[in-house]
Amino acid sequence: MESVAPKVLALAQKKGAETAEVFLLKSRELTIEVMGQEVENLKLSEEQGFGLRVISHNRLGYAYSSDLSERAIQQTVERAIDNSRLVAEDSNWNVAEPGNSYPELDLYDQETIRKPLAEKIILAKELEKAAFASDSRIRQVEKAVYQDSSYQTALFNTRGLARNYQGTYCGLYGIAIGQEGTDAETGFSMSYALKYQDLNPFKVGQEAGEKAVRMLGAKSMPSAKIPVVFDPHVMTGVLDVLQRAFSGEAVLKGTSFLAGKEGQKVASPLVNIVDHGFLAEQVASAPFDSEGMPTAETRLINRGELQGFLHNLYTARKTGAHSTGNAVRGSYKSTPEVGTTNFYLEKGSVSPAQLLGDVKKGLYVTEVMGLHTANPISGDFSLGAAGLLIENGKLTTPVKGIAIAGNLQELLLGIEAIADDLTFYVGLGSPTVRIQGLMISGK
Amino acid sequence: MEKKEITEILKNALNSGADFAELFWEQKETVGINCEENRIERINSGLDEGIGIRVIAGEKTSYAYTNDLSIDRLLEVAEIAGKGAQKNQDLRGLKDFATPPSPLKIEIKKPPQEVKIEDKVQVVLAANETARRVDQRIRQVTVNYGDVRQKVTIANSDGVYVEDLRTRTRLSVHAVASEGNLVQTGFHSVGGSKGFELLEEEDPTQIAETAAKKAILMLTAQPAPSGKMPVVLAGKAGGTMVHEACGHGLEADLVQKGLSLYADKRGQEVASPLITVVDDGLISGKFGTTSYDDEGTPYSKKVLINKGVLKNYMYDLITAKRDKVKSTGNGRRESYKDRPIPRMRNTYIASGKTDPEKIIKETKEGLLVTSMGGGQVNTLNGDYVFDVAEAYVLKEGKVLYPVRGATLTGNGPETLRLVDLVGKDIGFTIGVCGKEGQGVPVSDAQPTMAVRELIVGGTGEESTPQGKKIRRL
Repeated sequence: MESVAPKVLALAQKKGAETAEVFLLKSRELTIEVMGQEVENLKLSEEQGFGLRVISHNRLGYAYSSDLSERAIQQTVERAIDNSRLVAEDSNWNVAEPGNSYPELDLYDQETIRKPLAEKIILAKELEKAAFASDSRIRQVEKAVYQDSSYQTALFNTRGLARNYQGTYCGLYGIAIGQEGTDAETGFSMSYALKYQDLNPFKVGQEAGEKAVRMLGAKSMPSAKIPVVFDPHVMTGVLDVLQRAFSGEAVLKGTSFLAGKEGQKVASPLVNIVDHGFLAEQVASAPFDSEGMPTAETRLINRGELQGFLHNLYTARKTGAHSTGNAVRGSYKSTPEVGTTNFYLEKGSVSPAQLLGDVKKGLYVTEVMGLHTANPISGDFSLGAAGLLIENGKLTTPVKGIAIAGNLQELLLGIEAIADDLTFYVGLGSPTVRIQGLMISGK
Repeated sequence: MEKKEITEILKNALNSGADFAELFWEQKETVGINCEENRIERINSGLDEGIGIRVIAGEKTSYAYTNDLSIDRLLEVAEIAGKGAQKNQDLRGLKDFATPPSPLKIEIKKPPQEVKIEDKVQVVLAANETARRVDQRIRQVTVNYGDVRQKVTIANSDGVYVEDLRTRTRLSVHAVASEGNLVQTGFHSVGGSKGFELLEEEDPTQIAETAAKKAILMLTAQPAPSGKMPVVLAGKAGGTMVHEACGHGLEADLVQKGLSLYADKRGQEVASPLITVVDDGLISGKFGTTSYDDEGTPYSKKVLINKGVLKNYMYDLITAKRDKVKSTGNGRRESYKDRPIPRMRNTYIASGKTDPEKIIKETKEGLLVTSMGGGQVNTLNGDYVFDVAEAYVLKEGKVLYPVRGATLTGNGPETLRLVDLVGKDIGFTIGVCGKEGQGVPVSDAQPTMAVRELIVGGTGEESTPQGKKIRRL
């Protein structure tokens, strides 16, 4: 596949591109879904393609193709150049220079590739069994899934950069449904890892089951302003919305509520937020980003104080910063935008039990709806939520049908305790977090 | 690739013993133009071609895809897929290919690939300029244009052979207005199974104006009231609610898995007698319209709920076989990378008899919703939360003033029971529905409807950054 890259670059230059860059991706994926201890769905996929960026007269053009034939390469090069002619001029476009040093990572697991299909099927079956075994009220396991992927990425540009790496990852996820009378509730659990041996179907199945059952009988609660505890999964959802505000692109476009606040206190002094592109044992780690810049560890909030933003080459040059190795592409079809790698809230020093122990009356939130509709500019959000009441430091009755309204900026400032249970959900990580009084509207 | 080669591939897929094998070959060309910061920021052209092979044996499905289209690789991939689903029974043969007729012939007047990229850019720039001219308080405008030409060839072991060409064009405008510390947004979009003529029939500058005016209006809006109250959903707000909170529950896969409130309710009253819900793949030019679904079944029109009584579910081939009925032509997929599943096409609540004006006049107190935002829905129990992009307070039958930051919380089936009046109008909106991670173009619609009561939540701020985004649990 890589042999295509020099050909594409040469053709682009021949047709008038001053600078060109080719991103190549080849991947294979396997997904196994089990239902009733039988394989219900099995999916194998292989995909390859390239994305081409050309820069001429400070104008950037883009085109991609899954087809690596001569004809398709020709057409893709022509389209990228045509497109560049109509795009606004901007002297901030550039590509990576060669000569950087790159972190060394162990991303490739032979075992994931070598394990026979039959064994992977067993993992999904065990997950399903564990979910049923967790409680007699589990009526159904909606999903019991094993997944793995292997990929090769390469980046070539006319400045002389030519690099590649390969990796694998695997994971399990389950959704269980608990039922009591007419009341049905779902519970979800997932775990992704770089190494096959780190997968634990019992834990995932059991957690999905327990989460479903503990919500049975959930009812709304009276409106109140009380401390709220977010479990790690819910908090990573919050971080997912929050990460947009750390994007150098959002700063440029005026859509970040953090813009211009470097050095200011934007969160509680307990809060440290980091984006770490080469964190060991993490699925989202890589030696270089999708422009070929080395990945980095970037401290974004240190003891509540904003340190800076995430950048790709474009936003770095435009704002006078350095690339933080945060150019991210969804696939060969997309241009490299600013995105996160392993983005997480650092763990605190108390256990989750201690964190709950101090709460007289509060809400432990295990599920939120509508987070993605939070306003990234103002930070305002209104979420549907479900969880469990905290009474005298203990989780008691399940609650649903409530709304939590607030603002992300205030939420960051209002964090009053962070537990030591940092958990990653593919690129996003958080411990359990307690936030002082949030407005909960119920019945 | 010729029929002969397709036959060989299907034979290889059946070789390990199976009930069904299918090949889906897709060639897709796309163009996307993005205007932001008052300039063309991105133009992206793409070619994507690949083949998906599906093999079914009993309840087992195996799916494999590749974009390595060499015949040797395809034969190999077919064999792998076949082994994934294999059963130790006698082989089913391959039936001779025939193409089922479709009631719909789609005529594309201006195929987008024949339109110069300069002309597409012109439309985008015109929309951008118009939106910015609406008011000085418009600070940011984002215009996105996209067109797709998708050629599919579908062949299966039951003898279905279909070639279909789909063309879609869309334009969306997102405007940000601000005054002091207050920032508000407005969004509007059009899209259809049409070529570039879409943007001659629908004036791009009108779309831009609508989006910008919405943002400006919301600057003067007051914080939304909260609590239980009567809600009038205007026709022009579109059918997001019926699609999300009712439509998904009528998809046969969810029904058969017991994941829908509508399971085992055929023939029963599930909504107000004023409610008729239809899924229609044949409405000319709509975003969810094509001649065939992605399994080669001709599109059709299906009444799902008739005057409150559940009549039909939406089926693909697998779910239809399980229920011993015919596929309703709802087997859709995002691309060759995905197995088809039951999906909506153009879904709507049929118009009633009441004048929409009268519905507003008869509301003593409540909220008039004229534009919906994103939201989230639990398809298992039908619970939903939607953002409201534009709404007004109603009092004594009068539209008083605009409000922002409202959310609607409710339950789909329950909401449809609480409908008291149904207008004679109808309003469509477009969207990309994202079931199981697969995005397919859909449209949805409803007439103006009075709902006895819904929970309205208010944050005092508008919270719909990018138009309709829906997440499902």
